[in-house]
Amino acid sequence: MLASVNTLSIVFGTIFAPLAAFLIAILFLMRSPRLAQAIVLAGAALSVTGSIALLLRGPVEPLRFLWFASGDIQLRFGFLLDGTSLMFGVAVTVITLCVMVYSLGYMSHDPAKSRYFALLGFFAWSMLSFVYAVDLLQAFIFWELIGLSSFFLIGFWYEKPSAANAARKAFLMTRIGDVGLFIGILLILQYFGDFDIPGLLNADSGLVSAVAPATLTAILLLIFVGIVGKSAQFPLHTWLPDAMEGPTPVSALLHSATMVAAGVFLMARLHPLFMADETARTVVICVAAFTALLAATMAMVDRDIKKVLAYSSISQLGFMLMALAAGSLFAGVFHLITHAFFKALLFLCSGLYIHHLATNDLEEIGRRGGRRMRFTTVGLVIGGGALAGIPPLSGFFSKEEIFAQLGHDGFTLFTGAAFAAAFLTAYYTFRMVFLVVRPAGGDCGDLNDAQPATDGGHGGRAEPWSMVTPVVFLTFAAAFAGFYGTDIAAGLGLSPAHHTLASALPAVGVVLFGVAIAWLDFGRSNARRRGFIAAVPALQTLFVNQWFVDAFYRAVVVRSTGALATLMHWTEAKVLDSGFDRLALTILEWGKRATRVQSGWVQFYGGCAVLLFGTLALCLYLDVGIGGG
Amino acid sequence: MTLQTYLLLGLILFSLGLYCVLSRRNLIGVLIGVELMMNAASLNFMAFNRYSVNDPATGQVVVLIIIGLAAAEVAIFLSIILNLYRNRRAIDVEELRELRG
Repeated sequence: MLASVNTLSIVFGTIFAPLAAFLIAILFLMRSPRLAQAIVLAGAALSVTGSIALLLRGPVEPLRFLWFASGDIQLRFGFLLDGTSLMFGVAVTVITLCVMVYSLGYMSHDPAKSRYFALLGFFAWSMLSFVYAVDLLQAFIFWELIGLSSFFLIGFWYEKPSAANAARKAFLMTRIGDVGLFIGILLILQYFGDFDIPGLLNADSGLVSAVAPATLTAILLLIFVGIVGKSAQFPLHTWLPDAMEGPTPVSALLHSATMVAAGVFLMARLHPLFMADETARTVVICVAAFTALLAATMAMVDRDIKKVLAYSSISQLGFMLMALAAGSLFAGVFHLITHAFFKALLFLCSGLYIHHLATNDLEEIGRRGGRRMRFTTVGLVIGGGALAGIPPLSGFFSKEEIFAQLGHDGFTLFTGAAFAAAFLTAYYTFRMVFLVVRPAGGDCGDLNDAQPATDGGHGGRAEPWSMVTPVVFLTFAAAFAGFYGTDIAAGLGLSPAHHTLASALPAVGVVLFGVAIAWLDFGRSNARRRGFIAAVPALQTLFVNQWFVDAFYRAVVVRSTGALATLMHWTEAKVLDSGFDRLALTILEWGKRATRVQSGWVQFYGGCAVLLFGTLALCLYLDVGIGGG
Repeated sequence: MTLQTYLLLGLILFSLGLYCVLSRRNLIGVLIGVELMMNAASLNFMAFNRYSVNDPATGQVVVLIIIGLAAAEVAIFLSIILNLYRNRRAIDVEELRELRG
C-alpha cells in the first residue's frame, strides 16, 4: 500500500512540476526572464528525477481515478506505468531538460524568454501526461495539447509571417489527422464502450474479441490517420519541414525527438490491436515504407541543414512505424528512443552552427568554418554516424533490430525498401557531414545563393557552455544508447532478436556503401560536390521540389478552399449583407418620410388632437344614440 | 332660463377659446384661449350643479379647483413664455418649430 502511494506521489510530481513551472512563469514572471528560466528548469529537473525514479521502481499496476460516469460509460484519468511509457517518459524528460539548458544559451538574446521557457514547460507537461495516460480519451486530450504547444512554439517568432504561417500549417495538418483519430475513438466508444487502454488490449475481453473484424479495421485505420498526422507520414508530412521556422531547440525537442514521436508511441501503445488486424498492419507498413523512402530522397538534395534533419526525422519515423507494423514492439520502441537522442543531438548541433554562423545553408556553414567548432562537429559526426547506423553507435543497433524483424517475417519487399532507405540515410547524413567538415576550399564566390538563416546570428562565444553541455551529454547518449538494447527489451518484457555478425553484415554493407558514395560526391578533395542524383535532372528537380506534394496541395486543396471561401465571402457580402442593407435602408427611407408629419407646429398638433377627440366623441355619441334608440 | 341656454353659452365660449388656441400666432393669445376654455368648463359645471344636483357644493368645489389650477397654469405658462422670449427673442409659435422631424 505504502509503495503504491509513493509511486502515485512521484507520478504527480513528475507530471505536474512542469505545469506548475509553466503557470508560475506565464502568470507572474513574464517580466523577469531569469527567474522564469530558473523555475522552468527546476520543474524539468524535478520531472527528470521523478521519471528516473519511476523507471527504477519498475512497472506497476495501472492507477485510475474516476473522472465521471454516465450510464455504463466510465471516463477515467490515470497513469499506465509499463515498460514502454516509463522508458519513453525518461527519454522525454531528459531531452526536455537538455533542450532547456541549451536554450539558456540559444535564446539568451531573445526578449520573450519568459514566454519561451513557460511554453517549454507546458509542452513537457502535456507530453508526459500523454505518455503516462491510461485512458484513450485522456491520451487524446493531451495529444491535442501537444499539438497546441507545438503551434505556440513553431509560431514563437509570430512577428515573422513565415513562422506564423508554418505554425498555422502544422496545426491544421495535424488537425486533419486528429479528426480521424477522434472518430476512431468515438467508434471505440460506440462498439466497445470503454477507453481503458489495458482493457482494450486485453486478449480475452478486449477490443479484438468484442468487435467485428471490419469494425476493428476501420477503427485502427482511423487511429492511424491520427498517427500519420502527428508523426508526419505521407500524405500529411508537409507540415514538418515548415515547422523548422521555430527556434532550433524547439525543432530538436518537438519535431524530432518527442512530439512527432507521439504518433509512434500511440501505435506502440495499441500494438496488440494492430497485430490482430492484417489490413491495418499492411496499410501501416506500406505508408511507413513509402514515407521513409520519400523523405530520404528529399533529404538528399536540400541545402538547409534543418530541412535535411526534418526530412530525416520523417524518414526515421517511417522506419519505426515499419518496425511496429512488422510485429516488433521492441524494435520500434528501441529506435524511437535512440532516434530521440541522436536526432536531438543533431538538431542541437545545427543550432550551434546557426547561432554562431548565422546561416542555415550547409555549404555556407562549411565555408564559414563550421568545422572549427569542435564540440559541435564531434557531435555532428557522432550523431550522423548514429543516424546512418554505423556500428557501434546507437542507431546501428536499433536499425539492426528493424532489419532483423523485417527479414524474420519475410516482408521481402519491405526489407528491400528498408535497405534502400538505410542506404539513402547514410548517403544524405554523410553528405551533410562532409559538406560541413570538408568545405570546398577557398571558394567564397557565390554567397548570394546561400539560404538566409531562420534565426541566430548573434555572434558572441562560438560554443557557450550552456549549449555545449547538452551537446556533449547527448553525444555520449547517441554513441552508447545502443548497448542498452537488452535492458530496453527486458523493460518491455521481450527478448531482442538474436544477432550474429553475419546477419548484421548486409545492413553494415549498405550503410558503408552509402557513406562511400557520399565521400565520392562530397568528401574527397577533388569531389564535384554534386549529388549523384544530379546526373538525372528530372529526379533532381523532383526531389528539390519535395515531389511537388506541397505544390500539389497548394494548387489543389488550398486553392479550391480559397475559391470556396471567396464564394462564401461574395455570397455573404453581396447577397446577405447587401440584402439586409437594402431592407434596412428602405425602412429608414419610409421612416424619414413619416417624420414629415412631425412639423414641430404646436397648433397643428392641437388641431389634430381636437379633430381626433371630436371624431371619437361623435362616434361615441352616435353609438350611444343608436344603442339608446 | 333653461339648462340648454347655459350649455349653449358654454359651447360658444369653449369654441371661441379653441379657435383662439388654434389660430393665434402669439403665445399669450394662446394662453388667453386656454383660459376661455377653462371658464367654459366652469360654466358647464355650475349649470349642471344648478339644474341636476341636489347638493349645491359639488359643482362649486370643482369650479374652485379649476380656478386654482388656472392660476397655477398661468404662472407656469407665463414663465415658460418669458424664458422662451429671453432665449429666442420670439413668442410666435410659427417660429418655435425646432422639434420638427
